Parts: sequence; structure tokens; C-alpha cells
Amino acid sequence: MEFDPRIFIELFAETIQYWWVIVPSIVLGLVVGAIPGFSAANTIIMLLPLAIVLPIDVGFVAMIAIYCSSRMGAGIPAILVNIPGTAGAAATPLDGYPMTQQGRGQQALAISFTSSVLGGLITTVVALIAMPWLAEVAFYLHSVEMIVVMLFGISLIATIATGDTLKGLTAGFFGLMIGAIGADVVYEMPRGSMGFLELYDGIPLIPALVGLFAISEAFIVIDRDTILTERGRAAVLHSTGWAPTIEGVRETLKRWWHVVWTSIIGLFIGIIPGAGAAIASFVAYQQSKTYSKTPELYGTGHIEGLIAPEAANNGVTSGTLVPLLILGIPGGATAAIMLVVLQYHNVTMGTDLFVNNPKLAYLPFTAMAVTYFLMIFTIPLLARYMSHVTVVRTVYMAPVVIAFTLVGAFVSRDYIFDMYLALAFGVIGYIARRTGYHVAAILIGVILGPLLETYFIRALKMSQGDISVLFSSTLGNILWVCLFLNLAIPIWFERRNGRRKVRSA
Amino acid sequence: MSDDYLFELHRRRFLMGTVATITAGILSSGRIADAYAADFPSKNIKVYIPTRQGGGADLNLQLVTGVWKKLLKINFEPVFQPGAAGRVAYEQYMGKASSDGHELLFGNMGPEVLNWVVKKPTFPLDAYRYFFRVDSDPSIIYISRRSKFKTIEDIVAAGKKETLNFATSRIAHPATIGVLALGKATGAKFNPIPFSGGRNTRNAVATGEVPFGALPSASIVIQQKNFKALALFDDKNVLGGKIDNAPLVNAKFGTKLPPLVSARAFAVKAETIQKYPDRMKILEDTLRKVVATEEYKQAVIKAKAPWELISPGGQKECAEYVKNILAIGEEYGDLLRGASAKEAAKKKKKKG
Repeated sequence: MEFDPRIFIELFAETIQYWWVIVPSIVLGLVVGAIPGFSAANTIIMLLPLAIVLPIDVGFVAMIAIYCSSRMGAGIPAILVNIPGTAGAAATPLDGYPMTQQGRGQQALAISFTSSVLGGLITTVVALIAMPWLAEVAFYLHSVEMIVVMLFGISLIATIATGDTLKGLTAGFFGLMIGAIGADVVYEMPRGSMGFLELYDGIPLIPALVGLFAISEAFIVIDRDTILTERGRAAVLHSTGWAPTIEGVRETLKRWWHVVWTSIIGLFIGIIPGAGAAIASFVAYQQSKTYSKTPELYGTGHIEGLIAPEAANNGVTSGTLVPLLILGIPGGATAAIMLVVLQYHNVTMGTDLFVNNPKLAYLPFTAMAVTYFLMIFTIPLLARYMSHVTVVRTVYMAPVVIAFTLVGAFVSRDYIFDMYLALAFGVIGYIARRTGYHVAAILIGVILGPLLETYFIRALKMSQGDISVLFSSTLGNILWVCLFLNLAIPIWFERRNGRRKVRSA
Repeated sequence: MSDDYLFELHRRRFLMGTVATITAGILSSGRIADAYAADFPSKNIKVYIPTRQGGGADLNLQLVTGVWKKLLKINFEPVFQPGAAGRVAYEQYMGKASSDGHELLFGNMGPEVLNWVVKKPTFPLDAYRYFFRVDSDPSIIYISRRSKFKTIEDIVAAGKKETLNFATSRIAHPATIGVLALGKATGAKFNPIPFSGGRNTRNAVATGEVPFGALPSASIVIQQKNFKALALFDDKNVLGGKIDNAPLVNAKFGTKLPPLVSARAFAVKAETIQKYPDRMKILEDTLRKVVATEEYKQAVIKAKAPWELISPGGQKECAEYVKNILAIGEEYGDLLRGASAKEAAKKKKKKG
């Protein structure tokens, strides 16, 4: 299954003819992506009967377009109103929302969209060319290696804690403790669920996400006129037409290399079955901050802090399709639903597909490329007009945000309990903000803690309790060294710079 | 007596009569509806499902209700309540659902009943009953097509030399019990690693994280190209070539394991069965008709679900299944709760 560029070019031209499917699917994906609690997987499940009766190529293209555009759509509420509707967008508001508060919402949206589109396009092309080799990644990254990958993400807590170490680490550990609620992964014995059946499977992510970020923010901003700061308001009022959008696109293109390597992180994480956009965006953010020349600007509305998670979570989309098409292993929930549709049409995954039906095998990637290409045209309009949301007065905005987020908390599992839970997290987030604890550190613990525990317990169960299993694989050991260097190098740099400053003084 | 007076009288009588009739109708309507099965179902039927939307149970239910709704002339409203290995849906159903026959539960008798062995629910086990089994899916041992193992004997021989990990959906599952029982019977050591759900369990074997796995056969039939079935925990192999003509464990190793199958079935509160036998008859009779229709068969085949596994059964068959699976669960209860094989043997000796 050698990559033949002629087939790709021919297919790309053919796929453009599906614009009539792709365009409405993009609109649908953007809308469902922007609604908290909804996701591409939910939407495709709802459209499953339709996807099955449509011809295979049309159904497949529609699913791909929804998948890609919903990722981009999730960035909109995360940036504008601090509502990351899905776990994959959880790292987006860290720098996206401060930009909005500073009156740079339009620019932030343009940066988010451009990095999403570029990240998606780049990883689609990389995945297409390197597919056979990339598929092998799934054979090497098992529980032990995933523990180290998780630690890359969790080490972001330490990075966040640099401002106030004690508070940062306390918030992180608090998040990890909340993440430990629920049945253990092996014997399914409930822990810390306080008798609530709804907590038996752990803290549901969407209520935690929207509570910690959006509801707590709504409580905070209610005493202000708008979510914008005074300077931000002035900036919005004086912003001229398309200029911030153009500026956002320009700033992103200037940082093209940043888009490339953070999206590649997403691609690799997407290939690993079970890993997802949440891990990718946190790891990308952490790596971006670690190797930045201006790490102190992260969290204050820094452009690179917004590019990293958005490029990474779009890289995941291409990644999840690689093991699906080559090995028949769906990397995530959305890919699993696509597999159901393909099986319904008697399509057998694997290398045979590329030999016997190369057009169908490459179609998801060309569809992705065309989708991202067409999404370019949505950037200016969405960035310019969506950003007007920020000037809405908080007396209207806060109740709407709370209502929307509560609905979002409800729809993911249909439990009224989750709405109360979102409110409880809103109160926790509010107290944390008022007392100077970082909600992002809590959230990282809540999201990545259970995943780390799952891989850790599984590795221990496989080794029958032998802790040395953590250092039993070559790739795992290489990753441990990388993790150590990743944590040590910034400290070493900081100390060296400190010494230089002292000497020069 | 003027005409007006007569008209007034007639109108008054008419109005009084109407009011009386409506009142009597309202008051008696519930009882009449209760008394006559012909009025059942009088509204849509709500079905609680203990797994996520889009999963195997969802598909299975859609196939059945697609035909069933035409016979009952109502619609079905699925309520997906995943979580806690199915416990959430059962607790919600037992706590909130009405017992008039308009609210049912559609679950997987195997793993969900085994759950009660690990941790008892808040309601008595006989407070609900499965009344119609749709399918019967035997557990199998499978490997990746890339595996170095070729036969079940290879797996057992390797398990005798060193402990072999195997992937399973969850610990409290008929497939897990099957492999543990095989190990016990042959002296091989097998270590169950739960991967939460069929997809992850397949992936773990496909990527080589564990050498083999155990799942209900339908999960493997759909991916026959990637996986090879090595052995079957049942007394017959109805799937034949669809699972590589995998041998029966009992026949191969001389064990006497009962069939370790997963079985999707409809359940109701026991109260419904006692109060409304006529309604239950309607539900059971129409369900039997559904699985006998050509339309249902074609829908199953089109959905790539193995038709051979469709195995309708009534209350008696379901009760027998539950009794057997609970007995097996009790036998392996300590292992399911996390005791090591040694500890489990000690505990059993003590009890004995």
C-alpha cells in the first residue's frame, strides 16, 4: 500500500464535488461543537440511520466533515465565554479567554480557527503519506508508555504552579482527588461516591468542565458590566472591521512551526487507541509552555498558548483514523461509530482495503483535507461576528451562560444530577478563583487523573503488582528520560539565566 | 309550561348527563384500562438500557422494536443510562419506573446479573424478572491474527509455564469466568485484565498488549479478519465457520463447564407480572411474533449481527439462566471480588 500522489490528487478533485454534503455538515459540526456537552460522536450516533442509508462515500464524507468542524466549533464558547464544551477544548480557554477579556476575542477566534484548519490539514497530509508506519505506533504504546504520556500532561500542574507553588500544587492534588472518585478500574468497587449511583463511574467530565470554567466565571463577571476588562471594552469598541481577524491569521501563520509540531503531537496521541483530544491538548500546551521563550506569558492571553491546544486537538482527528483504516482499530468513540457504518456496508478495514478499493481507503483523508480547506472560508465570518457576543452585558450573558451550561451538563448523560454537579463545581471554581487557586490545575487533575490511574492500575495488574513494570519497556524508558529532561531542562535554564543576571548585575 | 322551560330542562339534563358521563368515564377509565388487556399498550413504551447509545444493546433493541412497534401500534422510547456496569439503569428502573407494563428494561443478563454477586443492589433480586430473551451469545477465547499462538492448546501450554494475561471487558463477566475456570481445570495460570467494553478489549489484543482475550462471540464475528476464535464456552458451536470452527472447551479439555453466554433480554418488575398477567401475555406473544418474522431476520442479517445467535426464550428460560449464572458467580465470587486464586481456594476450604 504505497502512497500514490496521483490517486490523492484525483481523489481530492473528486471529493470537492461532495461540497453539497460537506458544507451543511460543516455548519452542523460547528453548531454541535459549540454547544456544551454535544460532540461529534453524539451527533453521528443521532444521524446513524441516515449515514447507513446514504451511499457509503456520501455517508463517510458527511461523518468526516462533522467530526472535523465540531472540533473547531468547540473552540468558540471556550474562547468567548470560557465554556469548553468538550474535554478536547479544556486547554483552549487558558489563553483564549484572557484574550477575549482583553478585547481580542475576534483575533483569538481567528487564531483558533487558523490553527485548527492548519493543524488539521498538516496532520491529514502527514497521516496520508506516513499511514503504514504511523499505524505501528498503536503496537508500541501500551499501558506503561501511556503512564509516561499522561505524566507529561499532568506535569502541566507543576508548570501552572510556578506562580504560587503551594496553591498550584494544592489545586492539582485536589483535582486528582476528585478524579479518584468512582469505581476502581479492575473490580469496579465504588470509592468516594458518597452513595450517589451517578458518581459510581467517576466524576462526569462535562459537568466538571462547565462548572469549573463557565459557571464560576459567570459568578465572577456578574458584578461587572461585560466580561471585558475596561481596556478590553475600549479595544472592542475601537476595533475596525476585519483587521483583528487578519491580524489573528497573520500571527498564526507567523508561528507556522508551532502549529506544525503541536499538531503532530495531536496526531501521535490520536493514533493511540483510547487516548484522545483532552490528553493531546494538555500535552501540547505543556510542551509549548516548556519550550517557549516567554513561558511567563502563558495563561495571560498568549497566542502560542492558544495555538497549541487547538492545533493538537485537530491533529487528533487525523490520528484516530489511521488505526481505523489500517488495522480496523478505532482510536476513539467517533471512529468506532464510523466503523459501524463501514461494516454495515461490508467494507473490511486493513491493507486489503488500500489494494482493493484505494479510493474509499483514502477518501476520509481527502474528505478531511477538503473540509479543512472549505472551513478556511468560515474563518473571517465566524471570527468577526461571533466575537460580538463579548459585548453583551453580563446581566444577560451570565444567566444565559449558566442556563446553556446546565443544559450541556444534562445532555451528555441525561441526568438531572449532573446539573447539580455542574453547579457544585461552579461554586468550587468560584471559591478557587476568589482565593487565588488555579481552576485549570484542578481540571487537569479531574481529567487526566482517572486516565493515569487506569493505565497505572492496569500495568500493575498485568505485572501482578510488580512496580518495576513501569521501567520494563525500551520505549517506556526513553519516554521516562524525555519526561525527566522535560522537567529538568527549564529549571536548569532558569537557574543559568538567574546566575547570568546576577553576574551581569 | 313554555317551550323555553322544556328546552331549559332538556339542556340542564343534557349537561348534567354529560358531566356525569365524563366524570364516570374519568373515574373508571383507569380501572377499565387495567381490566382489559385490549387497551394495552395505551401509550408509548419506555425502555431503560444500561449501556450507551450506539452500542450493541442499542442496535439489538432497534432491530426488535423496529418490528415490535408495528405489532403493538405504539412507539418505543429508549432511555440510555450507562454507568456502574449497568447498575445505574437497574437502580433507576426499580426506583422510578411504573409497574403498569409501559416501562421495561433491556439488559444483558450475563454481566449484569454477575454484578449482583460482586455487590448486591439496593432492591431484592427477585423484585424484577427477565421475561423475554432475544439472543444467546457464547463467550469465546480469541487471538489477533498476528499472534504467535495458533490453537487453544498453545494458550493453555503457555499458561502452564507462566501466568498469561488476557483482556476481558470486565471482571464480572461470563467470559472472564470461562477463562478462569479453564485455567483451574487445566492447571494454567490466567490473569484477567479488564479493558472496559468490547472495543477496548479487542484493541488490547489487536495491538499486542495482551496475548489473548475473552468476549462474547458476536464482537469477534464482525471483525473476523483481525481476530481468530480459539475456543467456545458453550455446548454447541452454532456459528461454525464464522468463528473459525472454534472447538468447544468442554469437548477439548473434558471439563464440565455450563454454557457461559451473554444473553440480551427484556425485564419488568415482578409486580407487573403478578398484577397484569394479561399485559405480560401481550408483550411475550408479540415478541415471539417479532423474532419469527422475516422482516426481523432480514434486519438482523443486514445489520451484520449473527442470526444464529438469535435464541428467543420466555420467563422460564430466563429464570433458569439467572439461576445458573448466579450459581457460577457465587462459585467464582471471591475471584470476581479481587481475591487471588490462592486466597479464593483458602476461603472456599474454610467455607466447605
